[in-house]
Amino acid sequence: MNTTAAARLDRATVAALVAAVLMPSALGLIFFYVPTANGDYAQRIFYFHVPIAVTTYALFAWGALNAARYLWTGDLSLDLRSYVPMHLGVIFGTLTLVTGSIWAKVEWGTWWYWGSTELNTFLIIFLFYCAYFMLRFSVEPGERRARYSAVYALLGVGLIPISVLAVHLGQDAIHPITFTDRGANMDRNMFFTFLVALAAMLSLAVAMYLVEIRGKRLDDQVARLRRLAQEPR
Amino acid sequence: MISETDVQYVAAVYALAWLVTVVYVIILNSKLGRLERELDEIVGLLEAKTDG
Repeated sequence: MNTTAAARLDRATVAALVAAVLMPSALGLIFFYVPTANGDYAQRIFYFHVPIAVTTYALFAWGALNAARYLWTGDLSLDLRSYVPMHLGVIFGTLTLVTGSIWAKVEWGTWWYWGSTELNTFLIIFLFYCAYFMLRFSVEPGERRARYSAVYALLGVGLIPISVLAVHLGQDAIHPITFTDRGANMDRNMFFTFLVALAAMLSLAVAMYLVEIRGKRLDDQVARLRRLAQEPR
Repeated sequence: MISETDVQYVAAVYALAWLVTVVYVIILNSKLGRLERELDEIVGLLEAKTDG
């Protein structure tokens, strides 16, 4: 194992350990410490749903940033670092939609509300990045695929600020506004709990990202080894 | 008064997040198993090449 691979392993382990400490802490705070807003028990969904949504945006943004770096430098390893966050972003995005729908069912009595600008823009971003995989796997592996994927990844990232600001732009009356121009619209205990849950989710995503990158690189190395083993002497 | 349905919905959200994490670990484990099998196969190929 070379030095870079060893360093990567350490980073993945550290991120997993941080997540292992923060996740139970977040659950402890959510269920045993923080008071519910207006006695609304289902509001506890907020502490998982919103951090998952923020992590989804962070993963898509990280993927797009690496896509831009690939287009700038032409370094093919950045293509993998752009693809993996997109893949994880879709997993976290699915969780955002499902947890959001469960919350909507409790609060609004419906699984989905088509009148909400924020919900619809998030769905558009999610479907946009689902289509990323159709594009990617319809092109032969190599520079052309990396270039097409990078351009597509960059096109989608512009939708993220629109989605984040959608509630304010669309004067959405149904989706709760948690963060305003004056800061977080919640008391200090709730905000602290939210931050711990967010840090837990982000560290889990970082650990998953580093492990998946290692897995993909191992795949490549095994394929190279197989080609070498099959070559005639 | 906490409604039982609200508790069930909250439990569903947290159970789902755990389920996704566990499924992810299972997928990673199956991938490691596949890599292990492929490496065994490559070792076999290299040994045959050395013997031949």
